[in-house]
Amino acid sequence: MEDSQERIGVQNGLLRVVDALPGLVWTALPDGYVDFLNQRWCEYTGLGVEEAYGQGWQTAIHPEDLPELLERWQSILASGEPREMEARLRRFDGEYRWFLFRTCPLADASGRVVKWCGMNTAIDDRRRAEALLAGEKRLLEMIATGKSLSTTLTELCLLVEELCPGCVSCSILLLDLETKKLWLGASPSVPKAYTESIDGFAIGPDASSCGAAAYHGKQIITSDIATDPRWAESRDLALANGLRACWSTPIFSQQNRVLGTFAMFSGKPGNPTTNDQEVIAQITHLASIAIERSRVEENLRRSKAYLSEAQKLSLTGSFGWNVSADEHFWSDETFRIFEYDVSTKVTLQLILERAHPQDIPLIRQAIALAADGRDFDYECRFIMPGGAVKHLHLVAHGTRDQDGRLECIGAVQDVTERRLSEETLGKVRSELAHVARITSLGALTASIAHEVNQPLSGIITNASTCLRMLAADPPNVSGALKTARRTIRDGNRAAEVITRLRALFARTGATTETVDLNEATREVIALSWSEFQRSRVILRSELANDLPPVTGDRVQLQQVILNLLLNASDAMSGVDDRPRQLVIRTERDKCDHVRLTVQDAGIGVEPQGVDKLFEAFYTTKSSGMGIGLSVSRSIIESHHGRLWAAPNDGPGATFSFSIPRGPEGVTGANSFGAIRKPAVTDAVRVMRNP
Amino acid sequence: MVIPSLVSVVDDDESVRESLPDLLKEFGFAVQAFSSAKEFLASDCIGQTRCLVLDIAMPGMSGPDLQRELTLRRQEIPIVFITAQGDETVRPRVLEQGAVECLFKPFSETALLDALNTALRVS
Repeated sequence: MEDSQERIGVQNGLLRVVDALPGLVWTALPDGYVDFLNQRWCEYTGLGVEEAYGQGWQTAIHPEDLPELLERWQSILASGEPREMEARLRRFDGEYRWFLFRTCPLADASGRVVKWCGMNTAIDDRRRAEALLAGEKRLLEMIATGKSLSTTLTELCLLVEELCPGCVSCSILLLDLETKKLWLGASPSVPKAYTESIDGFAIGPDASSCGAAAYHGKQIITSDIATDPRWAESRDLALANGLRACWSTPIFSQQNRVLGTFAMFSGKPGNPTTNDQEVIAQITHLASIAIERSRVEENLRRSKAYLSEAQKLSLTGSFGWNVSADEHFWSDETFRIFEYDVSTKVTLQLILERAHPQDIPLIRQAIALAADGRDFDYECRFIMPGGAVKHLHLVAHGTRDQDGRLECIGAVQDVTERRLSEETLGKVRSELAHVARITSLGALTASIAHEVNQPLSGIITNASTCLRMLAADPPNVSGALKTARRTIRDGNRAAEVITRLRALFARTGATTETVDLNEATREVIALSWSEFQRSRVILRSELANDLPPVTGDRVQLQQVILNLLLNASDAMSGVDDRPRQLVIRTERDKCDHVRLTVQDAGIGVEPQGVDKLFEAFYTTKSSGMGIGLSVSRSIIESHHGRLWAAPNDGPGATFSFSIPRGPEGVTGANSFGAIRKPAVTDAVRVMRNP
Repeated sequence: MVIPSLVSVVDDDESVRESLPDLLKEFGFAVQAFSSAKEFLASDCIGQTRCLVLDIAMPGMSGPDLQRELTLRRQEIPIVFITAQGDETVRPRVLEQGAVECLFKPFSETALLDALNTALRVS
């Protein structure tokens, strides 16, 4: 008895302990009938012991979880093994939380199960964290794979609704910065009647919760829509749709600009729990990523579309060549210009395949420059599969990428139209110049003829009169004398005309200055560069570094250089089977002379005909007057130098002049004689109208 | 006595006005020289002029201008043009307009005499 008393005492003590345990503890009979629940269990669920006994506890289980839980409970009972199960348990205030149900059988000496003990542990935080993590992962995947913004935001809302039991629905609104209006981003569970009414409403200090949150840039908690003055306008509609509390939080960009708002609605008045706030923080962060990413992509897509349109319009393509990695990038327009399919793998060979045979050396030069990290600016011809010739202007800039690897970035523009019209224009211009020359020459001839014919006419008339007067019988001697004097006068007049003409055409004297022949040459090259490009001449200059200056007339010397260069270019105009290579070289020559050489790969000169080249009015060109070289020689000779020509070993000819370095200077203007003015005119003509 | 036919010379060049009348007088014509078309039009010689030796290029009214003016005034005077400009295209133009001849300076006395004889036959 004493023993039994003691046992009861121990049992009561144990029961008190069990009641006081911070866990929810219960026991059940072998068939699953719950015969004990500790005090903590009853307090937590708000159920009385009598209510919960037997099957009564099941009313505290979330209806969605109950069937699975019961099934599992039956299998545990059948197994007789300690097992676990999970389900949501309703708290006294109606909020469900996840619990782990641990069960353990008690057996008698024979091993028969006589009782089941159980303890429920809250695992809500873990479950929530897991769900949030899984949700985040899913959402980040959606963002990364470029799912539409509305799909991603809808998923976000659904996740929140799953994670926050107190939230009946939520919405994400997007802010249009220009109009300061909020537009619906996602609101899968908010009644349509309500969402339609709020789509596109203006933000403001008191514009419900979301409008105010966006306006102030801070969280706005409306714990009761029924009483909050901010809700004056949409109150009725919100209440009619079962929305009672609204907690709205701004979504910020990385630069801290408001992108939109995230709102949680509750069916009851109240404030968000700590858990809710944690979820809100996480969700607004995810929403910010999704919205920013989508905007960046939208901008990128738009600017790509603009760029592509602009490239199409301007017939300009862009390209990049990572030289070290030999990786190429071509814009769509570049593919279009070269007439390749955009799926073609880009290699340098693609460019060379389209190249005009004559321009291949030029293109190889451009590639070599690019490979060397240098800039280039070339115009080359390419032949398209249909046989059409395209003139393409290629400009590129050498640079280094983030890893310091050499990169060539450039643009290619189709200038065929422009080139063709320029060529047409050039032809018209040269015809015009030709006509103008003929016309002015004609006018000049007429004017000279008039000036000379007048006195000649007088001479002949007077002489005729004189003869008649002398032949008369008797001779009219005084009349004859008068007319003879007139004859002399008219003769003098004619001579005066000639003198006047010479004075008119005499040129001003040559100037004498110190001339850096290299610099003078560079200027001429710069002047005629486009002409060489147009004529597809590859010009190489080899100018000696230590060239002493010469004394002379800079402009005259430049006329000679230009004349030699343009003659060389003209000599190669018919050359199509080899590069139109032109080399201009300056160097010291023997006896304190400086020599300039122009070597072409053109039609060449006959060795025996070389001297004839320098005769005035001798020309091999259909368009030339044959004055250029004769003038050039007279200019060089006036500089005490020598100008000569020689055939090359290979194709083409070489023209050179050699003049002494200072300080003698040029002989006076008289040495040019009367041809000097036309000579200069011709040189100018060569310059203007090669 | 046969009254010599009047030949009028219109030329802005003084040496022509000096030398040509002397030669024409040697041929036996009466001559009047004028330095401009206007001077000729203002004179009272128009009606008597049997032949007009007319320079083409003159300041103010040119030879062809005077030719047109005379046509308008129904003064059908045979015209022998003379010109120092070597422009060959002018000759057919003035001949088409009714000129008897167009002589390029310097011209021989034979050419001049032939032209005058043709002109006087016309008139």
